[in-house]
Amino acid sequence: MRTVKAPNDMSEILNTLTESIKAGKRKDAKAATEQALSENIDPQQILAALTMGMDDVGRRFKANEIFVPEVLVAARSMKSSMELLEPVLAESGYTPDHTVIIGTVEGDLHDIGKNLVAMMLKGANFSVVDLGTNVGAQAFVEAAQTHKASLIGLSALLTTTMTAMREAVALFREQGLAAKVMIGGAPITEQFAQDIGADGYATDAASSVDLARSLVA
Amino acid sequence: MSRRDVVITALRGEKPPYVPWSFRFTREPRQALCAHYGVADEELDQRLGNHLVELGSDIGFFEDLGRDKHRDVFGVVWDRSVDKDIGIVCDFPLKEPTLEGYAFPDPLDERFFADIEAKCGRQPDCFRLFCLGFSLFERAWTLRGMENLMMDFLEEPEFVEELLTRIADYNLAQVKKALTYDIDGVYYGDDWGQQQGLIMGYPRWKEFIYPQLERMYGLVKAAGKFQFIHSCGDVDELFPDLIALGLDCFNPFQPEVMDTFALMQQYREQLSFWGGLSTQSTLPYGSPEKVRRESERLLEAGSLGNYIFSPSHAVESDVPMENMLTFIETAQTQGAGIMISGA
Repeated sequence: MRTVKAPNDMSEILNTLTESIKAGKRKDAKAATEQALSENIDPQQILAALTMGMDDVGRRFKANEIFVPEVLVAARSMKSSMELLEPVLAESGYTPDHTVIIGTVEGDLHDIGKNLVAMMLKGANFSVVDLGTNVGAQAFVEAAQTHKASLIGLSALLTTTMTAMREAVALFREQGLAAKVMIGGAPITEQFAQDIGADGYATDAASSVDLARSLVA
Repeated sequence: MSRRDVVITALRGEKPPYVPWSFRFTREPRQALCAHYGVADEELDQRLGNHLVELGSDIGFFEDLGRDKHRDVFGVVWDRSVDKDIGIVCDFPLKEPTLEGYAFPDPLDERFFADIEAKCGRQPDCFRLFCLGFSLFERAWTLRGMENLMMDFLEEPEFVEELLTRIADYNLAQVKKALTYDIDGVYYGDDWGQQQGLIMGYPRWKEFIYPQLERMYGLVKAAGKFQFIHSCGDVDELFPDLIALGLDCFNPFQPEVMDTFALMQQYREQLSFWGGLSTQSTLPYGSPEKVRRESERLLEAGSLGNYIFSPSHAVESDVPMENMLTFIETAQTQGAGIMISGA
């Protein structure tokens, strides 16, 4: 017979989990996730505790209180926890509400920024399909259709490759994709996003989470 | 006054007779300019009237592994299938946070010094700048992988310190030899900036990077030479520290990430700037008239000294020929409208 954890104990475990994510303590996050699962805490509550930790990381990153190293260790901790949690979530029939297709556009092999955005979106409980770098517009279309994506995220580092975004967005519109399009990368500006008909632009990985949430709201 | 003296005058914060310039181009625009002027590649810098002659090897030497893969002397493999100039890292030697079993290459490799005499012979009156690219943080992340190094800052700080110390040792050995030649300055390339802020954050920069720069700049300044650095991105929060270390000239000075004109005023007589002309918007997307106006504004702001005119990065292949010729000619004909140099 399953014993349900008393609320105080439960909140202590979940609090420990949130704090482990915030501090980027992978082993602690994994141990707290194991404990939460063994105590039969609702997997969606465990997921909420993880997301709360990553939200705090995003907030401090935007405020320049922490930097890329802290974000990476937090995201890695989240990943360790999710490896344990995902099978249980799947078993319970849970799937994230929204899927994002993300990639660096054709002609561009840079991926540091794109990877950070993917990590932060995963941390915010989006299902992320990362197509990698040098991704042609048609590949985004096919992935968006296959995964019934709500969002497509396009990244470019170079002025020489940001023009591929324009062509990609034009193809998405031509194909009648329902997914909203967000773009980012060093040379990208809000004006450029408007010019090419993208639905939004974010300056950094944490802001991309806010943008993604607003676009699917 | 020789071009070398014009640069030295500007770097000292004194009013030069005109604003010196020195332009860099990636492979495709460089080839296009050679074709336009009808000159060979090694003649282009002289044709442009560049005031700096860049010595050493900024990005180092590579072994062609085939299929667009190239291995540098540190053992890092680069993919050049798209970016033909440098490429991106696709394999790195330090899979674990340890230097055990890793051997640094020879900092005194003859290839770094082989063409110094020939280049100085071709541009005898230029300011002589010995260049060392990927000089510290960039060398560390290419050896270890960016994400790994970022996490090592937090989890393996002793390893990071050792790695950066060994890289700085390598640089110091190479620069010591460079200083035996008749050079005027040393340039360290090392990108620390993102479009907003430092990738590792200021506290970590100060803890890990600053002590090594102190050693690297110290050697150059003790030899009485000018110290240049290059860091892409939004790094102006570092200027007070860099000036304290003896920095003379900062490149590439990107207008998209810093207020170039305000900084030129703020650091007058403390720091010189090399760059400033927008490569993220004006050069690829602006009209020739806009290129001319921005160039003239920079030349005007730099007329009192502390400035070397240039685009804020090596010019990429998306810049129209007309825009390239506009900033080149604006520099060459500044002031009285007479060709100053380079013809």
